[in-house]
Amino acid sequence: MNSETGAQLTPTNAALIERIVARDESALAALYDRYAAMLSSVLNRILRDTQAAEEILQDIFYQLWRTAAQYDPARGSLPGWLLVIARNRAISRLRRRNPAAGDEILENTVVLPFNLESAVAQRQLMEKVTRALGDLPAEQRTAIELAYFEGMTHSEIAQRTGDPLGTVKTRLRSAVETLKRNLQP
Amino acid sequence: MNGHITREEDFDLYALGALDADEKAAVESHLLSCADCKRKLAEAQGRIAALGLSAPLVPPSVQAREQLLRQIRAGATSAAPSRSETLPARGARDTRPGGSPAARRWDWFFAPAFAALLVTAGLLWVQNVRLGKQLEGLRASVQRQQRQIEENGHLAHLLSAKDTVTVSLEPMPGMPKGAVSVMYNAKMGELMYDGWIDPPPSDKSYQLWVVPMEGAPISAGVFNPATSDEAHWMTKVPAGVTAKAFAVTLEPAGGMPQPTGPKVFVGPVS
Repeated sequence: MNSETGAQLTPTNAALIERIVARDESALAALYDRYAAMLSSVLNRILRDTQAAEEILQDIFYQLWRTAAQYDPARGSLPGWLLVIARNRAISRLRRRNPAAGDEILENTVVLPFNLESAVAQRQLMEKVTRALGDLPAEQRTAIELAYFEGMTHSEIAQRTGDPLGTVKTRLRSAVETLKRNLQP
Repeated sequence: MNGHITREEDFDLYALGALDADEKAAVESHLLSCADCKRKLAEAQGRIAALGLSAPLVPPSVQAREQLLRQIRAGATSAAPSRSETLPARGARDTRPGGSPAARRWDWFFAPAFAALLVTAGLLWVQNVRLGKQLEGLRASVQRQQRQIEENGHLAHLLSAKDTVTVSLEPMPGMPKGAVSVMYNAKMGELMYDGWIDPPPSDKSYQLWVVPMEGAPISAGVFNPATSDEAHWMTKVPAGVTAKAFAVTLEPAGGMPQPTGPKVFVGPVS
């Protein structure tokens, strides 16, 4: 791209990971620039604490720097992996617990059927997800948000909302079914 | 749980972390031995992860980025600390005269001392040149990063502005295939191109145009996807110009002051 006001071609995530493995810190900076705002938003929504959110954000990218060689792009989506790690760590901090032993294994296998390598694609998915959640009945949306952003189980949601456990289970089950349908690429 | 997980929603509920301890344990015990269910869980993890994008946009501070890069540099320094220090030190020790009976004679004394001095000076000069190059590289890197931070600031501002519109450009019949959109904020006078198009012939480039309410189209960038699978960039719309549409045309390599080639993608600003 040749523009008077500046422009840049965007390398793929896989290419950036290869450069990180080769200790190219500008590649890590590029991945940070690509995904930090997205992750920071999730972390801040869960923790409601900017400092804690930035600590976790830094930890995640530092881990990526140290362990990039172990990451296999063919096994899953990098932004999906980053989102899962960010959420797990924020929930763990929120609830003052250590991440479950299996989390690290599961974190490595995340299939995200969306291309999130550009800011526009992220914004489009953001709009799609926000619309899909907004279209849910209020009780289902609340249940999903309590589970996703506060890490609550069925029983904890029932306790929080005062609804019967069976009702909460039905709501969440319906909500994930609807979201699966509406979030298809 | 010995058989397959038969209710598809269980994968999403597991990924969501909503299952209670006994339900979660049952799913995990089955996952240990079932590759098919692991694959379904990976897909559910992706779907559930995407829910995070409903969070209001909160970009991190500039300091957070700087701190991360400092941490990386500090880690790199402590992991490989000594190459630049040990080489001169070893060279200096190897040429030290030390304890020879001939040391009492001036020539025998000065010769090794002078040689040591020469070697040390040479090594210091080499090190100096290397450090100079490193410093030059670091300066360039800092400038690049500052530019990147500024661009990211603009980008975050553009993305979070409520009056930013996303214009999807439609492909023209018979033209190369692709998917192109432009995010445009008339008040800020900025746009961001994002998309991909099949590569043009070797002597051609694509060119993005702002079609203003009045007057001739204005170039917003020349690009050639043959060098990358995907491209995005931000650019400014001249002051006082309001776009009514955006278009991508096929032009001679390097672009033209005004559109001369066929339209490849067109989209009106609604």
